[in-house]
Amino acid sequence: MPKVLVADDSGTMRKIIIRSLNAVGIQDVVEAVDGQEAFTKFQSEIFDLVLTDWNMPNKNGLDLVKDIRNEKSTVPVVMITTEGEKSRVLEAIQAGVSDYLLKPFTSDTLREKLDKFGIA
Amino acid sequence: MKSEYINPFVKATINVFSTMVNCDLERGPLQTRDSSAPLHEVSGIIGLTGRAAGTVVVSLSREVAIQTTGVMLGERPVSIDADVTDAVGEIANMIAGAAKRQLEELEMSVSLPSVICGKNHSLSFPTTATTIVIPFDSDWGPLSIEVGLIATPDSTEKSEQAAAAGSG
Repeated sequence: MPKVLVADDSGTMRKIIIRSLNAVGIQDVVEAVDGQEAFTKFQSEIFDLVLTDWNMPNKNGLDLVKDIRNEKSTVPVVMITTEGEKSRVLEAIQAGVSDYLLKPFTSDTLREKLDKFGIA
Repeated sequence: MKSEYINPFVKATINVFSTMVNCDLERGPLQTRDSSAPLHEVSGIIGLTGRAAGTVVVSLSREVAIQTTGVMLGERPVSIDADVTDAVGEIANMIAGAAKRQLEELEMSVSLPSVICGKNHSLSFPTTATTIVIPFDSDWGPLSIEVGLIATPDSTEKSEQAAAAGSG
């Protein structure tokens, strides 16, 4: 059963994402309220997918991705964010993001990302 | 405030409410804001900085805030609580983010959202920016977007230099 790490400072967004994960049978989900907490949890557990917001306090999603790649991890990381300008997308790809999902999004578009990485 | 800054916020608001909570909005006529006018009961505030700077306020009536949160969380809150403020902050974040994507040339960054609750609260905008109010109506009640955005001096100089270079 896949295990997913969800990092977003908004509890509402975490609930929306987790509801979509649960709907496709993914129950093993770990939540983090910012990049710092996410990285701590990432270091202590093994995940099949990371879903992260960009703009978060303490450590943002971009720095989280850089930290994950510095650990030589190849885990798929999907950035779920409002940051959609070309320069920002490029910055995220250069940091090691595997895919990108713009807010607002539907549960169908999130499911497509899960399918892409063989998670759903 | 430049008129071309308005439409991206209108489109973003309609899209966010349609996509996230399946709620269709009907836009009312644009207004300039009288600083003493009260906002709706719950307001999400986002700061924008870059080649234009200012503030976006997403202000929801009590019922719109509660219904929006209820759809997002799958459970209707009984009052204006922490879940409502979080949901409204995220709605404001998505609207500001979607609008700034349409204004890419302004290279703006958004702040983390703040949310203010309570009847008859008011907010001050920078005096140099004319604040435009975009009212909307929905099946749940009224809401509004208030945008006060001005080009920063540096970007104005660059625009003038580009225009001068283009004309030569």
